[in-house]
Amino acid sequence: MSQIELDGVRKSYGLNDVIHGVSLNIEQGEFVVFVGPSGCGKSTLLRMIAGLETISDGDLRIGGKRMNDEEPSDRGVAMVFQSYALYPHMSVRDNMSFGLRMTGRPKDEIKEKVDRAAGILQLEQLLDRKPGQLSGGQRQRVAIGRAIVRNPEVFLFDEPLSNLDAELRVQMRVEISKLHSTLGNTMIYVTHDQTEAMTLADRIVVLRLGVVEQVGSPLELYEDPDNAFVAGFIGSPRMNFLPAKASGAKSVELNGVTVDLPDLKADLSIGQVLQFGIRPEHLDEKDGVPLPVAVDVTERLGSTAFVHARLSTGDALVAECRGDAPNNGEAATLCFAAEKVRLFDEAGARIR
Amino acid sequence: MAAAGKKQKRVLWIFSVPMALLALSCVYPVYFAINNALKDNRGYILDRFGLVQNPSLDNFFQAWTRSNLDTYFINSVITTVGAVLLLLIVSSLAGFALAVLRFPMRKLIFIVILASLMIPVQVVLVPFYQTIVGLGLLNTRIGLIISYTAFFLPFSVYLMTSFYAGLPRELVEAARIDGAKLLQVWWYVMVPMGKPALITLGILNTLYCWNDVLISLLVLQDQRTLMVGIAALRGEYTTNVPLLSAGIVLAAAPIVILYIIFQRQIVTGIAVGAVKG
Repeated sequence: MSQIELDGVRKSYGLNDVIHGVSLNIEQGEFVVFVGPSGCGKSTLLRMIAGLETISDGDLRIGGKRMNDEEPSDRGVAMVFQSYALYPHMSVRDNMSFGLRMTGRPKDEIKEKVDRAAGILQLEQLLDRKPGQLSGGQRQRVAIGRAIVRNPEVFLFDEPLSNLDAELRVQMRVEISKLHSTLGNTMIYVTHDQTEAMTLADRIVVLRLGVVEQVGSPLELYEDPDNAFVAGFIGSPRMNFLPAKASGAKSVELNGVTVDLPDLKADLSIGQVLQFGIRPEHLDEKDGVPLPVAVDVTERLGSTAFVHARLSTGDALVAECRGDAPNNGEAATLCFAAEKVRLFDEAGARIR
Repeated sequence: MAAAGKKQKRVLWIFSVPMALLALSCVYPVYFAINNALKDNRGYILDRFGLVQNPSLDNFFQAWTRSNLDTYFINSVITTVGAVLLLLIVSSLAGFALAVLRFPMRKLIFIVILASLMIPVQVVLVPFYQTIVGLGLLNTRIGLIISYTAFFLPFSVYLMTSFYAGLPRELVEAARIDGAKLLQVWWYVMVPMGKPALITLGILNTLYCWNDVLISLLVLQDQRTLMVGIAALRGEYTTNVPLLSAGIVLAAAPIVILYIIFQRQIVTGIAVGAVKG
């Protein structure tokens, strides 16, 4: 039995539907990341699980029990907010112990649990300080500590690293990952940052406009996206989409170059309009299918270089080169392997 | 550079003179009251505006004991403290409900409260008096406490609702997830977070209640509050100005002391309200 089951869950504000029937099973101990652009409903879905938003239709079960109408505190979840949501008038210790005090736990037990959580998060020195005296990273650790002390079945993270600077974000990402392996609890994490999603998740749920576009492991989504949206959203820099036409059942014509795709299971109809997807990092082969381009700008980052180029049709693309990269304004030939190509129809559905 | 400095100095003078006059107009009545409170009646008649020659505290003792200001003072303290406490509790609870909770007709209720802000006290005096008589609250301190609460509540609720609406919603949500019931959220999160607004409101309502004459004259007819008592020190044909001055100083003293004690909180209260920390 899955620990969290969403069964046709919907959310409407008046006539406006924001979550369109999401069904999803999350296993015990799994780290699931909801990812998608702003307004896709990922935070709303998380808040529905937390009990902070009502569920308009469908069922939510946690540990097999229907939770639609239960109070947030009765769902066995703890939540870490983007804004930390620490009580500014309380010390770190009081913030962390708030949940236990509200449920009337004995003082000894509260102290022991707070001290243990502070130990895990290296907050021992800060227990008597107020949140206003802490840095962003420390505040976020306190917010996580407040969640830990309640020993919840499920941790919910709502974009917890968005307010931190880039360096701290990487550090906290590693800490959250370590925390998951230490505690082993189920974690649901919302982010719009696909790097966070890729590095943290056991499984990623990609959402768009309140609909689940694809669920899978990070590599599954990267290697085998179901549609152009997922392909474009997962991976950085994003996948190049170039207009192409089918020139045979298993071949396409791109910028005058015929590309044979023997691995394709479906048969293409000649003249069919297609989106030809190729990731920037796959345009760095020594040999393979050659693609002549005119280089606009090359951004050299040291170990790698991003080449912004143009086909003769004028379509723009980006290539990530690890070795020698062509210079600005040069004509160059980028090569790619045919098996790295992902084909999508006009509407963006994947052709496998 | 020098020319610019000269110009700046001239501008400073242009602003300084009217400001100084304005400040003087505020300070002079205070000086007048204290100065005359220390004179006897003869001294006042001989020299109304001059500095006191033989200062004496007789007027204060006389006002306090013989003019019953001691009883009126106690009435004022009880009704003001009672009304302010009730106002703070009710407005904080109502502000929490209107700003944070979701329930039907929430906006309508807020609009009705706002609309009642626009009605002057004088307009509702007759029905208000009849209600007080009908409820048997005439000449009772509790009647005056309830009356003050009723009249000053719309503004207090409006202020608390606006303040709470500006607080991050996540704080309430975090407390709900942490297992706090609604009243616990109010007590542990909203009341401490609302402290700046509550202090400001406490000071304002103390001023309103303490300085009120009209409502107290209607409700507490037998017993009188301090302000009504001082107003009664004025005779129909003659007024003992030194005695009246002493009464005014006695009446103003608690408010001034309150301001001095809470000065820091009042100023920070205003700043915290303006800049989200």
